[in-house]
Amino acid sequence: MQGYNLEAMKFSQKVTQNGIFTISLILLFFIFLISCQNSPDKTNSQPSAPEEVLAKEAADGNYPYRRLSTYGFFTGEIKQLIPASTVIFYQPASSLFTDYALKSRFLFIPPGEKAKINGEDIDLPHGSVLIKNFYYPADFRKPVEERRIIETRLMIHEKKGWQAYPYIWNESQTEAVLKVVGGEINVRFIDNQGKEQLINYLVPNKNQCKSCHNKNETLSPIGMQVKHLNNEIAYGTSKPNQLAHWTELGVLEGFNEPAAHPSMVNYQDTSQALVDRAMAYLDINCAHCHRAEGPASTSGLFLTYDQRDRMKLGINKTPIAAGSGAGSFKFDIVPGKPDESIVIHRMSSTKVGVAMPEIGRTTVDQEGVELIRNWIAEIK
Amino acid sequence: MRNSLNSILLLIAGLVYFSCGSSTTEQTFDSSKLTRVPREDVDKIVEAFIMAEDSSTIEIPAGFYEMNTQLILDNKTAVKIRGAGMDQTVLSFRNLKAGGEGVRIVGNNISIADLSIEDAPGDGIKAQHTDGLTFRRINVTWTNGDKSKNGTYAIYPVQCKNVVIDECIASHSKDAGIYVGQSENIVVKNSLAFGNVAGIEIENCDNAEVFGNTARNNSGGILVFNLPGLPKSDGKGTKIYDNDIIDNNHENFATPMGEDPNGNTVTMVPPGSGVILLAAKEVEIYGNRILRNKTSGVSIASYQITGFPAEAPNWSPYTSDIFLHDNKYERNWYRFPDFSRELGKLVLVYNAYGFGKTQDIIYDGIWDENISSTINSNPMRICIQEPDIENLRFTRFFLLDGEKNIDAFKDYQLFQNCKVAVKTDITGLAGL
Repeated sequence: MQGYNLEAMKFSQKVTQNGIFTISLILLFFIFLISCQNSPDKTNSQPSAPEEVLAKEAADGNYPYRRLSTYGFFTGEIKQLIPASTVIFYQPASSLFTDYALKSRFLFIPPGEKAKINGEDIDLPHGSVLIKNFYYPADFRKPVEERRIIETRLMIHEKKGWQAYPYIWNESQTEAVLKVVGGEINVRFIDNQGKEQLINYLVPNKNQCKSCHNKNETLSPIGMQVKHLNNEIAYGTSKPNQLAHWTELGVLEGFNEPAAHPSMVNYQDTSQALVDRAMAYLDINCAHCHRAEGPASTSGLFLTYDQRDRMKLGINKTPIAAGSGAGSFKFDIVPGKPDESIVIHRMSSTKVGVAMPEIGRTTVDQEGVELIRNWIAEIK
Repeated sequence: MRNSLNSILLLIAGLVYFSCGSSTTEQTFDSSKLTRVPREDVDKIVEAFIMAEDSSTIEIPAGFYEMNTQLILDNKTAVKIRGAGMDQTVLSFRNLKAGGEGVRIVGNNISIADLSIEDAPGDGIKAQHTDGLTFRRINVTWTNGDKSKNGTYAIYPVQCKNVVIDECIASHSKDAGIYVGQSENIVVKNSLAFGNVAGIEIENCDNAEVFGNTARNNSGGILVFNLPGLPKSDGKGTKIYDNDIIDNNHENFATPMGEDPNGNTVTMVPPGSGVILLAAKEVEIYGNRILRNKTSGVSIASYQITGFPAEAPNWSPYTSDIFLHDNKYERNWYRFPDFSRELGKLVLVYNAYGFGKTQDIIYDGIWDENISSTINSNPMRICIQEPDIENLRFTRFFLLDGEKNIDAFKDYQLFQNCKVAVKTDITGLAGL
């Protein structure tokens, strides 16, 4: 039974009257004309062959640039991602799952400036840029051979605060162009088991960045916390603690020795304790929203690494606004019963409205689900 | 013989009738005739939200917008978002592939008016951490028939201050149509909520007035809840007056047909509920027309009735300081209370007037024994002054001795000779 109210019926008759229709067309055109003039060209780029559409631009310090290459973060062929001398490679101990994309991250700190350790955070000076490249190897069994870079996200610490800018790479991998409205890209690769995979990769729109990068409604980096970076990574042949390395480079102050600061394990490291791996997973994948300062504080579910309060962890806690996300289950976590826990239900779904995290993945992190299942199975 | 056959037939007809909860696919406007807006113009709207400056107006011209990404207004001040009318500007999020809501707003002094939002997979429009927020003539709906797949909330301000929802329409959400959560200073007025599981819900909020609305054909009409374990731990001060709360007999489709309620409290709402108070504090309900809700006109319940853990910091599971007066009630003689939900069955089977009798007011009779050893002193201060009370059906349950020993009483007199002064102040919202 489809019932429309009378007003609506009258309305639909009206639109077919030519006069009003024409007027609205003109109005539409006019409004679009105005909105065109207001929107800067640089944000209105086409995804195909951008290098032909865009004029040259100068690195005038007036961010954001339309093209990634203008920043000069990389030397040589840009797709090799070889950092310029002022750009530092870094890597958090645990990494957010984004449809199995691999990431390479770099940090630019303006010459002469320093990052400072401020409690659990690492404060970066104005002008600093976090550069995160998302890419897929053609074959995950040979990750260093052929790869396709999909997008590069810049977070720039401007005077008015942090700003996020997504750049989408072209097919020929010669340039990436700013695209504030985001996009959708089909990616094919061969996975670790040798199976061919097709992923509909979603590049977030600029404001969606803050769905995760949100601390008290201010855009802020996630990885720039001591606990994420207080670990050893390879720089060429040596493998120092990266914060010690930064200190040595003269770009960080306030770092004493690794043991004096918090650290988080890599959840993929199976030699670590299950509870530490699970908490590391929840922290990096969930806690950017699910913490008191994050947008999912509405839920009362708080999943930071150091959370010990059982109710805040979701143990025997009913959902608040989960809708379909609750499935047929009553509690976020049922001790010993991963199959009855909403957390597992939402991690295992790809359906928008059910899937958690809300953005950043269109596939299921099978290994991640397995880890959290094992952890819940052991909760008493 | 013939007589008894007739009564059996009547009984069967009755059972068939009341086993089928009502359902509706009513749409207020027909968006199928609108001109589809080309992709580049859709992108311009996405961009307009992203690049919006403070004190600007975002105009969304008439047309049908097929969105494939969220519209997010982030940390802006004094921005106006304007469509060309609820029947003219339609934002459809049917193809959204990621994101918790269609439209998301954060900022101060934001107003949005004159448009429709359709088929968002999560919530229709969500506003968070916003001080000064006006929704005016916003229609949020789901156009498909498969209702348990619909979105959660239609209009969803949460953790906001100074919120006005005026002349809005919310329909077919699988949770609440108009849901205000963890907010303070709220007006919901002159709006229509139909075909939702919950029509209008005020949850963990302070200082709210809900008036001049119509809540019809939902499973529950107007709800005031306080849920445990939230950053805004408890809420108080709500006035509900001059509303039409009618025919809220829609089946509860928050979970798929045949599935039991899950942990979302709304899944337990029995169809046929006019007003439900759950762990509510300081609520005055007066001058409403509470008509033809088949289970109960007004239900006063404590959180323990859900069976969920009922302990949390700075929060009380008891409903207290309630003032119910001067409302108009009407029962449908031919409809039975719900039996699809536990609370419906409680009314259906155990009410004080006999099997299958619709109730006007029920009270679960759960009280805080730290305050009084007996309910006779009205320890939770539930005050009822309905003019026609002797002709209304009032049931107080006694549930504390377990399922086998449920008892029911008609003793409205215990709750009659008192008043509660509920204080709300919405003068600060006059300019919104």
